[in-house]
Amino acid sequence: MIDTLIAGLLRGNVYALGAVGISLVFGVMNVVNFAQFSFFGLGAILAWFFVAELGLPFWIALPLVLVICAGLGLVINISVVRPLAKYLPLAAMLSTYAVSQILDNVSQIAFTAQFQVFPKVLPTSNLQIGNMRFGTSDVVMLGTTAVIMVGISLFLKYGKLGRAIRATSQDQEAALQMGIPVGLVQNVSFVIASALGGLAGVFIALYVGVANPGSGLNIGLTAFVAATLGGLGSLVGAVVGGFVLGILEAFGIHFFGDTARQIIVFVVLIVVLIVRPGGLFGKVPLLSAEPLTGTFLGKGRPLRIPRWVWPAAFVVLGVLVPVFANNYILTTGTQVLIYAIIAAGFTVTAGQAGVLALGQAGPIAIGAYMSAVLTLYLHFPFWVALPLAGLVSAIVASILASPIWGVKGHYISIATLGLGIAIVAVIQLVFPQGIYNIPVPEFFGTPLSTPLAYYLIDFVVLVITLVIMWRIRGSHLGKVISSVGADEVAALASGVRGRNYKALAFAISAFFAGIGGSLLAHQYTYIDPTIFTMMMSLLVVTIVILGGINLPYGAVVGSIILIGAMELLRFTPELRIIVYGLVLILVVRFRPGGILVRKS
Amino acid sequence: MKKILRRAAVTSVATLAILGLAACSTAENSSAGSADGTVYFGVSAAQTGQYAQYGQQFKEAFDLAVDEVNANGGINGQKVALKYEDSQSDPKQSVAVAQKFVGDSDISLVFGDYSSAASIPASPIYTQGKLLQYGFNNSNPDFTAKGSDYQWSTSITTTASYVWTADYIKKQGVNTVGLTYLNTADWGIPAYNAFKDEADKIGLKIVDAEGVLDTSDDYRPSLSKAVADSPDAFVHIGYGPDAAKIVTQLRAIGYDKTFYGGQDEQSFDGTPDAAGSVIGAQFIETNPDPAVAKFVAAFKAKYPNETAVTSFEAGAYDALYVAVAAAKAGGATRDGILKGFQELKDVPSVVYGTISLDPTTRRVQSPQLTPTILTDGKWVAES
Repeated sequence: MIDTLIAGLLRGNVYALGAVGISLVFGVMNVVNFAQFSFFGLGAILAWFFVAELGLPFWIALPLVLVICAGLGLVINISVVRPLAKYLPLAAMLSTYAVSQILDNVSQIAFTAQFQVFPKVLPTSNLQIGNMRFGTSDVVMLGTTAVIMVGISLFLKYGKLGRAIRATSQDQEAALQMGIPVGLVQNVSFVIASALGGLAGVFIALYVGVANPGSGLNIGLTAFVAATLGGLGSLVGAVVGGFVLGILEAFGIHFFGDTARQIIVFVVLIVVLIVRPGGLFGKVPLLSAEPLTGTFLGKGRPLRIPRWVWPAAFVVLGVLVPVFANNYILTTGTQVLIYAIIAAGFTVTAGQAGVLALGQAGPIAIGAYMSAVLTLYLHFPFWVALPLAGLVSAIVASILASPIWGVKGHYISIATLGLGIAIVAVIQLVFPQGIYNIPVPEFFGTPLSTPLAYYLIDFVVLVITLVIMWRIRGSHLGKVISSVGADEVAALASGVRGRNYKALAFAISAFFAGIGGSLLAHQYTYIDPTIFTMMMSLLVVTIVILGGINLPYGAVVGSIILIGAMELLRFTPELRIIVYGLVLILVVRFRPGGILVRKS
Repeated sequence: MKKILRRAAVTSVATLAILGLAACSTAENSSAGSADGTVYFGVSAAQTGQYAQYGQQFKEAFDLAVDEVNANGGINGQKVALKYEDSQSDPKQSVAVAQKFVGDSDISLVFGDYSSAASIPASPIYTQGKLLQYGFNNSNPDFTAKGSDYQWSTSITTTASYVWTADYIKKQGVNTVGLTYLNTADWGIPAYNAFKDEADKIGLKIVDAEGVLDTSDDYRPSLSKAVADSPDAFVHIGYGPDAAKIVTQLRAIGYDKTFYGGQDEQSFDGTPDAAGSVIGAQFIETNPDPAVAKFVAAFKAKYPNETAVTSFEAGAYDALYVAVAAAKAGGATRDGILKGFQELKDVPSVVYGTISLDPTTRRVQSPQLTPTILTDGKWVAES
């Protein structure tokens, strides 16, 4: 048992370092910083470059990595995050995602995508407790973390700037009024966070022995969970959350296997959030606004769209594209349409109920598997399986999500993200192998498997989706759901049970996610769990944020840009992701509330 | 001024949306054969994202082979050229890429994709477009078994590979093994099932098998459990980078018996703790065979920065020669290449010596494996 405990401590150490950075930035800027993920990968690959390629001693390489990461952090904060955070935290979140895409790919171009062997700078197995061997390297890592944590907490407690950071994190407005230079405080926090991210990256490389520019994503996600577990904004919480998660994960893997890792991480998170909705050390404000709700709508700039645009768009997408487009455009178009269906359904949750759920890959996967199983093994026709897939997805997802709705704000995002990942992990346990030969849709015995047929089916489903969404928005029910999103307290005071309506909104979104999953499954005719990734969840959210979180037809625009642009950029394969990131940042800069915004 | 800025923003967004819509406005070219007399092959692979490493390795070997073929007169005088598309090995993009290649009448064959999760969803599109999909890296048996006449592969299947591995380990006098395998539907699980079935048959006892993920970094909890009963040897069914992490951590927790696993891949080959690992290889860089030596020398001359030539490069290099041989045999059109594949016999190969394809399984006939041991960062045939 002691060996598992040590493994957990070492692991928790890395999570703690990452989580402190995430929590710090969240505290002073109210921004969930995805760019932090990239600093793990960057720190690891930079350390490899200095030590293995340039032959520098480790003790010179380490501060160099920290300085570079800190400097990059400053540039990113000044040029992207701060200007956008002025408009909306959500816009800034989307831009940090874009920044992380750019960072990962620049470092991939610079250092190639190869996994590189990290030299053994310190012994890794010269010490022993019980059966567990460990090395000087591990002791140094734990020691460094301890020193840094003590240093940071002293700085926060006694340093002038440190106190300013704490003040800003408690109440930004009050801090400004007291004359605290909030801009400087935010820059310093971002710099510290980036350096800590880089350091955690170096430790990952030391510990696992290989480094690669894209290696930050998975560990970053867990560090993010650790920060949430501890309580976003609480540094003690981040450290404790990191170690708790590392140790629980180690024991969980010991008993249930590595496959269960993601399930363990998120079950722990969800249980903690249900018992303590603000995390272990975070405070839940009495009146907490969801990140997407309330006055925020006023900040978006509405785009007036003349009425003739709608029939014109219908004719272009429904008649002109099918008549004139080639198969490649139609296939890309079906991907656009499917994601538009999923995202349009998601606007009830994100735009109306004001809940930024992040785990849509879960309900999409449920729909895909349900539809595959119904048609392949039970020989249901596609047309029956399609709505059933949506229905089952809605029921299962809403039952699984039901304990989450008492949780608030950003915590709900992380909890739903976890739910999505856990659903896919459970599906993987049930169907470890992929499902092949999923039947294609048929029309009175004629198989509809041409690109045109898929396009038309998906187009009709999208139109139905938009009509349903429009009806829901106009109905009494829709208004009640919107009231929960607009002002939860007022809604509560009027006797609206917010929790239930959030759950209902999530079920409606899950229904369309399931429909989208079913459409994907029958077009691919093959599915396996690696298709339903966290990136898929993020894609759905970014489509909705980009298109206009409130408007179902905004999702269509978002989907055309985010999926269509990836195809459009094929002319520049090396720069594709970088240009994609830049485009995203520019769009966010000029339409911070989304491209289409409802009139406030 | 503000108004102008706002208009500019709106216009740029609208333009973007329209561009996105027209994401692919290249009109379908319906003329048969390419206009410039060049034979084009498509490559659908990851150039960015988490599998980019393999995409790069494939590209280096393809480019080398194309240079050689063209220097030697091409395909009956016609030059060979490749069209690359980055799929990120993501099915959402590989299906679009497939449709793009099918619609491009210049293309007479497509290599790829890297993973079966991206290849198989694209297969129906290639089949419908009557375009041969050459998944030279797809070791999942179902890629061809559940595919149509248009799916071919020269990769050894996971089944063949891991049945051989189980037999070989047993022959070394090993009776018990601890094991980890990648818990992935398209590769690791079928591979593990093949190993387990054979192990049960021949009486090789698996004391503990742990499913792991290649995206994990920390395997110590799984490893300490897998070696708790100190088995005679350790087996990892997975790829190179994860095997590098696993063998490092396995040695760190003090287990020092033979490691059967890993892959001929740069990060694994260079990991100090990996020394002494044993795998069944099809391609060995140090193989004295003249064809292999010539390929390795040419590769290192073209890419002086590459320290290792692995089976990924070798597989891609062979694949291009197989495609060229098929085009020579049947003609450089889509139909011709399919016909060529059905008849191919004894194509020279750096991986197998020679390649003959079985037209019913659409795989290589009786592929052979050689036991190799990792010594000083190089795989050498076990004597």
